[in-house]
Amino acid sequence: MTVREKGYTHWDGELKPARHPWWPIARLGIKLAFKKKYFKFIYFSAFIPAFAFLVGIYISERIEDFQWMVRGSTRILEMNPRFFNYYFSSDFLLFMMVMILLASGAGLISDDLKYNSLQLYLARPLRKKDYLAGKAAVLVFFIFSLTILPGLVFIVFKLLFAGNFSFLSSYPWLPLAVIGHSLLVTVFFCLYTLLLSSLSKNRRYVSILIFGVYVFSDILHGFFSENFKQPAFALVSLKANLQQMGAFFFKQKPVFPVAWHFSLFILVSLCLLAAVVLSRKVKGVEVVK
Amino acid sequence: MSAVIETRKLSKWYGNVLGLSDVTLEIGPGISGLLGPNGAGKSTFLKLLTGQIKPSLGSVTILGEKIKNNYAIFSKIGFCPEHDSFYEEITGWEFLTQLLSLHGFAASEVKIRAEKTLEVVELSRDKDRLVRAYSRGMRQRLKFAQAIAHDPEILVLDEPLAGLDPLGKRKVIRLIKEFKSQGKTIIVSSHVLPEIEALTKTIILIHQGKIFATGDIHYIRDLIESHPHLVSVKCAEPRRLASMLLTEDYIRSINFGPDSKTLVVETKNRDKFFSLLLSLIVESRIDIEEITSPDDNLQAVFDYLVGK
Repeated sequence: MTVREKGYTHWDGELKPARHPWWPIARLGIKLAFKKKYFKFIYFSAFIPAFAFLVGIYISERIEDFQWMVRGSTRILEMNPRFFNYYFSSDFLLFMMVMILLASGAGLISDDLKYNSLQLYLARPLRKKDYLAGKAAVLVFFIFSLTILPGLVFIVFKLLFAGNFSFLSSYPWLPLAVIGHSLLVTVFFCLYTLLLSSLSKNRRYVSILIFGVYVFSDILHGFFSENFKQPAFALVSLKANLQQMGAFFFKQKPVFPVAWHFSLFILVSLCLLAAVVLSRKVKGVEVVK
Repeated sequence: MSAVIETRKLSKWYGNVLGLSDVTLEIGPGISGLLGPNGAGKSTFLKLLTGQIKPSLGSVTILGEKIKNNYAIFSKIGFCPEHDSFYEEITGWEFLTQLLSLHGFAASEVKIRAEKTLEVVELSRDKDRLVRAYSRGMRQRLKFAQAIAHDPEILVLDEPLAGLDPLGKRKVIRLIKEFKSQGKTIIVSSHVLPEIEALTKTIILIHQGKIFATGDIHYIRDLIESHPHLVSVKCAEPRRLASMLLTEDYIRSINFGPDSKTLVVETKNRDKFFSLLLSLIVESRIDIEEITSPDDNLQAVFDYLVGK
């Protein structure tokens, strides 16, 4: 039976380039992440701090009803920029983000290199930047859901529970700080993950790298700071640099006595390095070696 | 014949290594076989056509449009790579719909197209199985499906029959020929001569990054004057026939086959030889059982051209 007899006919519609060609790639990446049972556990566990902080906001607005519970420690429930910085820079949240990157992002480019899928993508009406945008969108989705989303929800809930806008009039810059810090963390983690994912065809090696570089940089920081008593060694730690930037955005005292722009310089440099490496690594397979 | 694909002085270097050199070519509708040994530049040529790599020099025009910075043109090309390019942990259906959605079809259109294409490649029943559970032949057909699902004008197939069993090869050859019957342009690359011969007589011979010859295989063979043609004649009286042929100056040599009925004639002018043979059959009543041209095939042409 020929193709014609089977009804394989020409499409009569107008074929236009997709308006958001990155979206199918992002959708597949998110779908594949949720196919992993352990990912679901990690992802939903990462919301524990957000829920705890939401409960904290509620209690802070009903402090008289909860006096028996909080007793003298009402200061920690005060809604102010310190509260937000505490959420965004918490070791637990950053660690969970790294675990999410590891589970959802390690294979993003690495699997395409392993399975030679790049040639299928790049032989379609899809630019390299669309491909990278699709891959990055997977990570943006997960990181935003833990940063910008809870950050803005905290503000909205605070206003709802308080029933007035006095909080926002006291800190009108806070929504921008939430957005700014979330963007920085998201862009950095996206490029960090995509960079490492493009370095190997083996997803496991990439997972080890994502976890190892983050943890090892912090161990190095601890080791050098302890031995040389120099706070500047905080700059070797990815976590410390992100926390420094958190303190800057939320106008808090820096965790380490080092100027915030050094941390910004390091994070931006790493992002640029990642962008350069990605532009070189993501290309049609070269046949002659 | 109007050119569907045109290349002008197309060259590609990989550092100091020459991948493709100064290729100016026009390819029309139908099946064209891209033939050359491993490392000849076939894959480089196909990757340049499909925009996966950029040329060091020269240009590619497809359906009258330059492909440089014109990524929308790739919706008119279907590419089937040589090696497997699958995510093993997704199903055949997911693989196909994912790639179809990259072309900008609506979700409903993606479903319709995926269903029809899977039916064409006879994978409908296995569409919900994970790709990792697919056999070699099923994978090859799935690769073919992703190349034709968006109904491209041009189909580029890199070694589409590699690793298939005879039945699988027959199925894929049938699919390619059906696609040709729709008036599409198909480029099939292979280093296996019988595979190309089974698909087409129009060939592009490539070797060491250069195009050696293009066109109909017999026409190319005729152009190779430096190599005499071999004609094998099986008849009841080979010695009598040989004595009549030896008088002609365009007959270079005559050999007898082991079965004592076959005569292998080496001639500089095939047309004159066949005229003479025809007249001998009629006038001298020579009974001919079979006439074949052992070197009028792809292997011989290829060997002549690459200097083997």
